[in-house]
Amino acid sequence: MSVAVLACILITLGTLVYVFYLPGKLYLGPEKTRLSYLRERKEAVYENLRDLNFEYKAGKVPDADYLSLKASLEEEAAAVLAEIARLEEAASSAASVIRDSKGARV
Amino acid sequence: MSQVGSFALLLALALSAYSFLAGLLALARPGPGSERLGETARRAGIAVFGIVFLAAVVLVVAAFQDDFSIAYIFHHSNRDLPIAYKFAVLWSGQEGSLLFWSLLLATYGLVLRLRHKTDARLFAYASVIIAAVQVFFLLLLNFAAHPFAVMTGELPPDGNGLNPLLQYPEMVIHPPMLYLGYVGFTIPFAFALGALIMRYPGEKWINITRRWTMVTWGFLTCGVFLGMHWAYSVLGWGGYWGWDPVESASFMPWLTGTAFLHSVMMQEKRGMLKVWNMWLIFITFGLCIFGTFLTRSGVVSSVHAFAQSSIGNWFVGFLALIFATCAFFYVKNRTHLRSEHRLESIVSRESSFLFNNLLFVMFCFTVLWGTLFPILSEWVQGTKVTVGPPFFNKVAIPVALLLLLLTAVGPLLAWRKTSTESIKRNFMWPAIGAVLVGVLMMIFGVRPWADVSYFYALMAAMLAVLVALTVVSEFVRGARVISGHTHQNLLASMVHLGHRNTRRYGGYIVHFGVAVVIIGFLGSAFNLDQEKEMGYGDKMQIGPYTLVCRSYTQEDKPNYGSEWAIIDVFRNGKQIDTMYPERRFYKASQQTQTMPQIHPTVKEDFLLVKDLYLVYEGLNQDTGRPIIKAHLNPMVPWIWAGWMLMVFGTIIALVPNAVPVRLTAPARVQAAPVGAD
Repeated sequence: MSVAVLACILITLGTLVYVFYLPGKLYLGPEKTRLSYLRERKEAVYENLRDLNFEYKAGKVPDADYLSLKASLEEEAAAVLAEIARLEEAASSAASVIRDSKGARV
Repeated sequence: MSQVGSFALLLALALSAYSFLAGLLALARPGPGSERLGETARRAGIAVFGIVFLAAVVLVVAAFQDDFSIAYIFHHSNRDLPIAYKFAVLWSGQEGSLLFWSLLLATYGLVLRLRHKTDARLFAYASVIIAAVQVFFLLLLNFAAHPFAVMTGELPPDGNGLNPLLQYPEMVIHPPMLYLGYVGFTIPFAFALGALIMRYPGEKWINITRRWTMVTWGFLTCGVFLGMHWAYSVLGWGGYWGWDPVESASFMPWLTGTAFLHSVMMQEKRGMLKVWNMWLIFITFGLCIFGTFLTRSGVVSSVHAFAQSSIGNWFVGFLALIFATCAFFYVKNRTHLRSEHRLESIVSRESSFLFNNLLFVMFCFTVLWGTLFPILSEWVQGTKVTVGPPFFNKVAIPVALLLLLLTAVGPLLAWRKTSTESIKRNFMWPAIGAVLVGVLMMIFGVRPWADVSYFYALMAAMLAVLVALTVVSEFVRGARVISGHTHQNLLASMVHLGHRNTRRYGGYIVHFGVAVVIIGFLGSAFNLDQEKEMGYGDKMQIGPYTLVCRSYTQEDKPNYGSEWAIIDVFRNGKQIDTMYPERRFYKASQQTQTMPQIHPTVKEDFLLVKDLYLVYEGLNQDTGRPIIKAHLNPMVPWIWAGWMLMVFGTIIALVPNAVPVRLTAPARVQAAPVGAD
């Protein structure tokens, strides 16, 4: 058996062990939900507000523009926060129902 | 040795195919065991890196060992080739460069798969798409362009040598940079397609891919500029951009990639342009594959292209498959890409991005049309009609000027809408500066009505100054706010400002770099050139410079023989330099190559620097006298300085923000009570 063939066999064996030998638990990560999306959206709107404040302080945005842009961004933030609150409340009541039913079984 | 390389390529193909199929199955049929199957797919993808790396190492070692039993090494190397170029053998030919493509893709894939915990499911989709692209390249390597094919018959004593055009220091880094750019766009493409397939909620995928896209764009920018610098320093025609099809091929994904980097901000900030962004990144990736196809298929003539080959058909098939896949999932999931907001005003940051995108895409389409025209004309008329620089310049220059105007205007407009008062407030000083520069140029003799190139030069200078001044004003305004809070001086406040929002201020530095590059380009309107037979003591005048031929000499080196002229350069009667334009004769490939010499006149002209560019063109066939060609190219060094600024800005934009983002003003926002609606 030549050195090249032996090297090929060893490389294949090493690769197969690495790919298929999976000891321990696998990392699956959290599932992406509407709630996590809304939290990201909230951060984006807040960042837009911070940008607007900074540009206003830098003198780039006149008073009238600033007030109207700020009001519309705050409105957007409020809508996002309201939906987050609704979903969180729904999630916590669902969790308490599950807890209660488990408790009843015990 | 070739056996190990060949085996590695087969094993890599098997692993990529497994990574694709197992990953696809795990995503398509979630259930018991699918997580373990998905993990094996991820690991197979990681293993592909090791195996492809092994194949690349085998090829480079074969080049170092002068193993001419491998046909690729015989065709692209020789015994006396300097060490640095032996590394470059890997990407100097068709088969090796495809292996290099595959290696870079495997490297990007490795990093992506190791970072899968960021968002395991999205990364799994991206990993499957990358594996599919990898399968294509490994199929090519195994069945159409095998880098380990062996020579038959008696082994030759020496190789054919590396193409002389490639034996230049920059050619050791230009192709890797360009390939890193081309290949790198696979990553945002994979994430975008993955996000579309899985109907990914939100725009987090953009956030995840932002750095990947910027890194890739930075590499592509470096690749394009290094290519320009190489063309300028080696080809000996005195220019840096000739609208060569392969140059254009690298420029097209740069244009759409730049458009994507801008428009994606609208999606992040306002949830707008989702369909546009998705297609923009699909098209950018498609153009990267198309560029690779142009370089390799032999369908167009170019100094950069590899020999004509049959692999063009493979690329056409792959491009069709990419388009069909993207179109299918777009039609299937298009409802997922609805915009969350509408354009509120034509005078807003959003509309400036929209116009900038339309111009970038129009620019790209023009370049694509001009590049493909020879192929299309051959199909329609039976004869190949090539369009030259005048065609490209007719469209490219006005579009580039409009883009420059938007580069100046965009950062000064507010999101959503901008009032007239705001425009007046932000534009007054930069506009006055730009007009002043225009007036000064006319006072110093630039007559825009005398020639269209002077008109363009004047406009370019004014707009470049407008961009530069708007960038400076953005830094100054921001720094004043910081300075008001921290009581630092203005310069320290500017550094602080840059740290607070690296992406925005890094981007502004890139804009400043673009303005500097444009100033470099506009110098071409004032180029001078002269050609003369020069014997000992003969003189040539170009601009304020007098060239005196002192002597000719020659030298023999192991890899090549060279002959050069010794030219003394005088200005106002005072000698400022001695230049040595050279001609080389490469022994292995039996090819001649000119090596121009360039003297940037920084000491003499300071900001209005010029390049004195000399070429030794060889002997006149009739008279036997040597011919020297001289070019005087104003402002060219500005191009390379602007490029450095663009790279610096990109690096700044990649650095994480130093100050953690804290909520201050928006804290007063109250959520509507649950159930209020």
